[in-house]
Amino acid sequence: MKLSAKEWISRVGIVLVAAILVEIISVVQYRRTMAMMEREADIRIRIVLGALTDNISNELRLTEVTMKENLWEVQRGLSNPDSALTCISYLIDDNPHVLGGCLAFVPGYFPGKDGLYEPYGRKEGGRIILEDIASGSHDYTLNPAYISVMESGKPEWSDPYRYGPDSTSLATYSYPIYDSGGRLAAVCGLDLDLSWLGDTLNSHQRFASSFGILLTRDGKLVAGPAESKIPASRVQQAVDIVNGVIDESSVKDITIKTASLKRAPYWKLAQVYSRSEVSAPMRKMRLEHLLMVLLGLGILAFMLNRYARSEKKLREASAQQARLSAELSVARGIQKEMLPKAFPDNIFGLLEPAREVGGDLFDFYRRDGKLFFCIGDVSGKGVPSAMLMSVIHSLFRIVSEKEESPSRILTLLNAQACRDNDTNMFVTFFVGCLDLYTGRFRFSNAGHDKPFILSDSVSVLPARANLPLGVFPDTTFKEQAIQLSPGTSIFLYTDGLSEAKNRQREAFGVSRVKEALSKSLGESLSPEQTVSAFRESAFKFTGDAPQADDLTMLMVRYAPSNLFSEHLELSNKIDEVSRLSAFLKSLCVKLELEGKLGLSIRLAVEEMVVNVISYAYPSPKKGTVTIYADSDYKELRFTIVDKGIPFDPTAVVPASTTLSAEQRPIGGLGILLSRQIMDSVSYCRKADQNVLTLTKSIV
Amino acid sequence: MKIDVQQSENQILAILEGELDTAAAADAEVSLQPLLDSKGKDVVIDCTKLEYIASSGLRLLLGILKTAKGVGSRVVLKNVNDVVKDVLELTGFISIFEFE
Repeated sequence: MKLSAKEWISRVGIVLVAAILVEIISVVQYRRTMAMMEREADIRIRIVLGALTDNISNELRLTEVTMKENLWEVQRGLSNPDSALTCISYLIDDNPHVLGGCLAFVPGYFPGKDGLYEPYGRKEGGRIILEDIASGSHDYTLNPAYISVMESGKPEWSDPYRYGPDSTSLATYSYPIYDSGGRLAAVCGLDLDLSWLGDTLNSHQRFASSFGILLTRDGKLVAGPAESKIPASRVQQAVDIVNGVIDESSVKDITIKTASLKRAPYWKLAQVYSRSEVSAPMRKMRLEHLLMVLLGLGILAFMLNRYARSEKKLREASAQQARLSAELSVARGIQKEMLPKAFPDNIFGLLEPAREVGGDLFDFYRRDGKLFFCIGDVSGKGVPSAMLMSVIHSLFRIVSEKEESPSRILTLLNAQACRDNDTNMFVTFFVGCLDLYTGRFRFSNAGHDKPFILSDSVSVLPARANLPLGVFPDTTFKEQAIQLSPGTSIFLYTDGLSEAKNRQREAFGVSRVKEALSKSLGESLSPEQTVSAFRESAFKFTGDAPQADDLTMLMVRYAPSNLFSEHLELSNKIDEVSRLSAFLKSLCVKLELEGKLGLSIRLAVEEMVVNVISYAYPSPKKGTVTIYADSDYKELRFTIVDKGIPFDPTAVVPASTTLSAEQRPIGGLGILLSRQIMDSVSYCRKADQNVLTLTKSIV
Repeated sequence: MKIDVQQSENQILAILEGELDTAAAADAEVSLQPLLDSKGKDVVIDCTKLEYIASSGLRLLLGILKTAKGVGSRVVLKNVNDVVKDVLELTGFISIFEFE
């Protein structure tokens, strides 16, 4: 299926709009999530920094508390150098984070101990090792902290530093010790272990490139990440930024949050990270999101395409449906058109199709004072059966125009129905021919439901079934005849009536038909009233159940009134013509046919009878010709019957009326005249008889 | 059927009266025999009283016409009534006869 440019544009348009919408939502979402994540990261970092500073402050405070709580012990230890050494062990034993402690005595404090004296204790393998560490090479009096405390007389914290074989991070709290005499005796130093700080700062960084640093109040880096993890240059950049040497914005992709101790020694903590790393999972998510959206759009486009295709198909199908139903209604129109629409007093028929077009038919028409009628039902419903029905209907018209024997009509119809009948459709068909002047009813039945005869009572016409039309090409159709007494009706129907079903799947049934007909007898209804009443009661019976089959009925009443009937038998002698003339003249008087009309009828009949007398019986054979005259004072019908050699005057090519006198043959004029005068001239050979029928309207 | 044939110097006149039907045709053929021997004279057939004509009658008329034409005679039908004229018309005879 080819898509038009318009369809393409509309489809691409829908996908594009969807894509733009999804992208806008995605971007907004991304921005908001990013902002949220950054805020979250900031908060986290601030919390971490806050916790760290609190931790450090706490450690410092605890060290200071240790100092204060053991001050008395220390002051007691000032009594002699040994006790001074011992009291250090108390000091450092009291606080697990204090790794070591010393007392840097004012030189020459202890009499007998010359010069420098610095007892020092340190924890090593769970024990405390005490020793004097003052020596020539270690002159503590040069230590800035010692000097400072000695000068100010106030405690102070050193900046963190690394010491010892393990290069442990330490910070020393220096405290002035006064003896009982109020003399500044020594500076007590407590080494606080800060090794945990480095761990806490950098061991749990969420991102590979983020790190924490610790700076002194002056901005000197004292703790940071291992160089194996973060390059020194990067750390230096961070230090410079914290110290205000360079601007944060001048370094690519760096974000630094700082926090300071709110007490001496006012160290600074900084957390460094790159925004790009924080947003990396988000970017990854966004990429995934984008891929998913693209996939979704692809699916959408596919579905749209599928939908549009199926929708197009649906549209085409419904257009086709509409076309088809338009064609069906045309077919129905044609079918209806073929059915008789005008009904004389004593005939009425109807056809209610179950679908748009049906497979039933009925028809009737009058010819030669005879009523030809038929009813039929094509197997199946819908268009194919309606088509076959139309064919059969047309054929019936054509065939019965020439043929008046019902069985012959069926034989001819059967031959056509059997031709190319690949679908094995068949037609049940009943043909009747009712002589309106004599009441002679001839019929032949091709497997159709037997009609009812309504006279004094209701009975089924004993119509031999025969096979339906279209079954076998060589079917013989038996013809039957009965004599109808005036007032008798024939009721024909299709199984659409007898097999009309209600919601309970119960059929209307033949017995109900018979019953209703018996009832109608008492009410002396006309054919139209009877048929209409049947229609009503059938529809009432079926209720809201869908009509399963065509409903067709035809009713014919033989109700002759004021019939004229005479006949004359002549022998095959030309002298007999005068008897014929006399017979015809008296006929004209009786039927009040005056002047030209009477004379021309007389001429027509005479010509035909003379023909018979002259040619039917080759000399010297003797024979008779019988002339029947029947009339209802509207139409006059002559039936000329002889037992002579078969001769069909209607098949004779009429004599030319345009030849010159010399060229004209003598003869052939009689048939011409007769055929021109009469309304109809028809011939049939019936039981070794030539039967010629002439009719003329005499109204 | 009554037929009266009158010979004069330049024409033969036949007066037909009644119905020229099949029954009458045999007799009429005999009565009209003189008309077949016109010898160049005009043949005039007075149909004023001819009430009816059948095809056998037409055959007689056609026979007369053919013979007369062969010898150069005219055949004139006089005062043909409507019924007979219809028959002549139906058979196309109206075009081969002369009427007065």
